[in-house]
Amino acid sequence: MSQLGSLSLLLALLLAVYSIAANLYGARQQRADFLASARHALWATCALVTLAVIALWSGLLSSDFSLEYVAAYSSTTLPTPYKFAALWGGQQGSLLFWTWLLSIFTSIAAFQNRRRNPEIAPYAAAVLALVAIFFLGMLNFVTRPFDSLSLVPGEGTDLNPLLQNYWMAIHPPSLYTGYVSSTVPFAFGAAALITGKLDDSWIRSTRRWAIFSWFFLTLGNMFGARWAYEVLGWGGYWAWDPVENAAFMPWLVMTAYLHSVMIQERKDMLKVWNLALIGLAFALTIFGTFITRSGVISSVHSFTQSGLGPYFLSFLILVVVAYTGLLIFRSRDLRSPAEFESYLSREAAFLFNNLVLVGIAFAVFWGTIFPVLSEAVRGVKITVGPPFFNQVNGPLALALIFLMGVGPLIAWRRTTPRNLIQSFAAPATLGLAAGLLAFAFHIRAWYVLAALSVAAFVMGTIIVEFRRGVSARRHMIGEAPATALVNLVAKNNRRYGGYIIHIGVIVAFVGIVGSAFFKTEVKKTVSEGQSFAVGPYRLQYLGVLPIDTPHLESATANLLVTRDGRELAQMAPAKLFYKRQQQPATKVAIRSTPFADLYVVLAGLDDSGRQATFEVFLTPLVFWLWGGGLLMVLGTVVVMWPNVRERAAIAVALHGAADSQIAGEPAPGGD
Amino acid sequence: MKRLLFYAAPLGVLALLFSFALGGDLAVRAAERPTLATVSQGLTCQCGCGLTVANCNHPTCSFSVPVREQIESMIGKGESGAQIIAFYRQKYGEKVLSAPTTEGFNMVAWVMPFLVVALGGAVIVYTANRWRSLPAARGTSAVQSPESGAAQFDAELKDRLAQEIRERS
Repeated sequence: MSQLGSLSLLLALLLAVYSIAANLYGARQQRADFLASARHALWATCALVTLAVIALWSGLLSSDFSLEYVAAYSSTTLPTPYKFAALWGGQQGSLLFWTWLLSIFTSIAAFQNRRRNPEIAPYAAAVLALVAIFFLGMLNFVTRPFDSLSLVPGEGTDLNPLLQNYWMAIHPPSLYTGYVSSTVPFAFGAAALITGKLDDSWIRSTRRWAIFSWFFLTLGNMFGARWAYEVLGWGGYWAWDPVENAAFMPWLVMTAYLHSVMIQERKDMLKVWNLALIGLAFALTIFGTFITRSGVISSVHSFTQSGLGPYFLSFLILVVVAYTGLLIFRSRDLRSPAEFESYLSREAAFLFNNLVLVGIAFAVFWGTIFPVLSEAVRGVKITVGPPFFNQVNGPLALALIFLMGVGPLIAWRRTTPRNLIQSFAAPATLGLAAGLLAFAFHIRAWYVLAALSVAAFVMGTIIVEFRRGVSARRHMIGEAPATALVNLVAKNNRRYGGYIIHIGVIVAFVGIVGSAFFKTEVKKTVSEGQSFAVGPYRLQYLGVLPIDTPHLESATANLLVTRDGRELAQMAPAKLFYKRQQQPATKVAIRSTPFADLYVVLAGLDDSGRQATFEVFLTPLVFWLWGGGLLMVLGTVVVMWPNVRERAAIAVALHGAADSQIAGEPAPGGD
Repeated sequence: MKRLLFYAAPLGVLALLFSFALGGDLAVRAAERPTLATVSQGLTCQCGCGLTVANCNHPTCSFSVPVREQIESMIGKGESGAQIIAFYRQKYGEKVLSAPTTEGFNMVAWVMPFLVVALGGAVIVYTANRWRSLPAARGTSAVQSPESGAAQFDAELKDRLAQEIRERS
């Protein structure tokens, strides 16, 4: 299978090169046969990379330790689901997985555009193939997943124990899907710049791809946070690790892009800015990969002993220079008749929303690279960790949430101060009431008071919007309230799906504030039968259960949780020892409620098991962080749901503009 | 350019003040009520994980585990957060801190994000003012009556509903 895998990757590289030549020749000479041939080459590339992935999975599942990768990241005792997940557990495999996703998305984009966008689609496909060539080049010549060992070991080293968790089985694929799918809008943006076809056809063609990418970046970040929360055992979910930052930055930039394209769609403004944002989002995904694989910045996620940094840095520089060059080259053509009347307008709110989003992305980028800069300037490598990021991003996040409430309630073009007061009176009262209520509950931290007030204000603006829409339907169509609400969302899914996402952000924000500011921690050593208090709870240590399997040894403590003498639950935190990697790990126990999470870590255990040390965190409102994430996912599904009216409008545009191919967006996921 | 500077200068000063205030905040908080969580979040683990002492995920870490115990003991003896952090800084150097200090070149770390946002804001204001002075903007504003976003949306919604009613009948 290893020869098959290697051969597949080599053929895939050759076909990707051919597809670029065929696409460029076909587009310049208007030869449909060459364009079709290029498309078939891209599909064949995808099939060959799929074959390579199957070959590596086959090696992992059959524990073929003659393959260096399998010997390094698997073992005979590794549970089967993690043998699958080992594909992205190591450097070569994760690059292969990235390339596989890229080849799939490229094939889908080629299929969607087989009869539309004839001016830019071949160039977009060529850009996609160019990116694939970089990754295929790495897999063929630099970091080969099918290298064999001359001396075959009897057993593999096993997958890193931290990765042996179900969240880890889904976190990297989600994040990679988000990263890689951002290549499609980037490629269409680049194609628009190359061809000079600079209207919003590239945006329409890739709008769903951008939302799709944002969706998976959101999922990936959420799953990663949940993984950290359940596996790392420190009671938190976000450590501002460089690789976490690398995943967060494209999400921020993509969020900015999804807002600013609305201005271009509506008012034909911000063409340069939108092209710059999509280029930046893609560059940041490569930057993230560079960080993970270069060793330049130390991170808990880094792939060790990697010499790939210079390749990724070169590719990153090439992308940034070429793309910026194209932007400058086309700058004259990108000028559009700007219409801006007032700072009290939705355009202005969106502009400042973009500023803050990109500002936060910059702050994260700056904090991530500052240790390198400090070392270069002063010769001292310092650490930039959570205190920096929390303090810098805290006020910016507050401004962002505030603008999230302002934007939807003010008009395009301009609003008078009187109208503004009218629109905001009720939400502002709600915000003020929330702040006063928090103050009455003895909350004195200014940030918490401000955060809760702003969150309530924004929630108020969204409630006003829903109430207004439902009310209009009830009066004009006579629908019942629940039916009116469902139909309102169904028939205006882009707008109300967006609001659902905003509700999710607010809910998650409240969860973050609550868990960051009100967490309490207790560390206690107790003997069997003894109990101790954590907030309103009492925890009694009942004993330990040792388990020994060929894969790991574990010691699971049994704790009885009571409140006011009433039995609530039994919790089972454990200490694990992975035999192959000779590595200890912890398994936390979490009792989650909407009010607070009780989070228990078995920190120590004496030899007899009679005495145990527990680290317990009582974290308020963290439940809502995950709830907010789910709402964001739900909102995105609503936004992406095919809308009959939108399709009809697209069809009209398609037939109405024979010279323009922008509107042909038939396939789901295609516009 | 002059105009750009005109907008950037006050915003820049604001950003500087803001970042100074923020830079001082951590120390104040640490001094007010030290807990194991807040103090250990201020120190970087030296085992190579790159995380803070609070966040290090190695159960048998040779650095974070004893340091956490030591911090608890120092808090028990009544030492302030700032004192504990200063102790470790003296022992291991600046690398043990989990955030840049607010001295010398490190100040750049704190100031730059706010400065960039302030400059970005100035560019937006400058560009928007230029757009506002364009004839197109002046012309439309004289004709269009200003309305709230709600009213604008109400009109759009009513149009859509009217269309929906037509489609039903």
